[in-house]
Amino acid sequence: MTSKIINMAERIKDEQDRLLESMFESAPIADDGFSGQIVRRIRRRLWVRRVTLPLAALLGGLVAFQPMVALLKGLYSVLSSMPIDFVPSLSDSLPSLQLIVTGALILFVTLFSLSMLED
Amino acid sequence: MAWGEDNELVARAVSSQDTRAFGELIRRHQSHVRNFLRKLSGDTSAADDLAQDCFMRAWDKLHTFSGRGSFIGWLLKIAYTTFLQSKRKSKRYSEILEQVGHVSVAESRNYSVQADEVGDLDKFLAVLSEEERAIMVMSYACGLSHREISEATSMPVGSVKSVIFRGKEKIRTSFDIKDHQHG
Repeated sequence: MTSKIINMAERIKDEQDRLLESMFESAPIADDGFSGQIVRRIRRRLWVRRVTLPLAALLGGLVAFQPMVALLKGLYSVLSSMPIDFVPSLSDSLPSLQLIVTGALILFVTLFSLSMLED
Repeated sequence: MAWGEDNELVARAVSSQDTRAFGELIRRHQSHVRNFLRKLSGDTSAADDLAQDCFMRAWDKLHTFSGRGSFIGWLLKIAYTTFLQSKRKSKRYSEILEQVGHVSVAESRNYSVQADEVGDLDKFLAVLSEEERAIMVMSYACGLSHREISEATSMPVGSVKSVIFRGKEKIRTSFDIKDHQHG
């Protein structure tokens, strides 16, 4: 109700309001390529953004390549200089075939029993 | 191609970065924005540069347009902010120039027009403060409601109304305008 009254009051204009409206009234400005200029600027910026990211990634990759290779070489040389018994052998860390087969059998039996119980 | 309402164009521009839809929005509203900035700054070419900046900012902020108010109201808010920021920047620039001794170059760009090219509107605008000028232009030149002006200027509606009243009073007293003269 209050907002309606405010809107009505806004619409009621006095003579000075009408005079000011006519004074402030101005001819519309022709576009004359104005909008086209802005759209071109925006498209250029979008294109730059689209190109910049992959380009930066590529440049970053190129810059990082050499130090990365040097780092890997360094790591390799550190590992190779360690005593042989310090680095556990691969065969020790892997489970035996017997153990794998037993584990698989237990898993199969468990799953089979569970499915039988569900039925 | 037939374009829809402003809100539809905004949605299209935001969802698919459609610059053609945004171009249509610029075509529709550039006249209002440029007129607003020309009246505010009193300088045609500076106003057009500001209008360009305004639309560039509008593109960046387009996703923040909620669609609750009018698009022109939202645009004029950006235009007004752009104007105030450029004003602050040029003031700082002037201060720096003054400090290094370039006083003549440092004259701040207050609203001033050449005496021989002064129109009635320019005379009216010259007696108003910057804030009054902006609000009066939004109200009388752009036809924005008090609520829309309040959103554009981040001022309460009551303050907008009092600024308009004050502006009208200034014009009335400065130019001795009486209501019955223009009935």
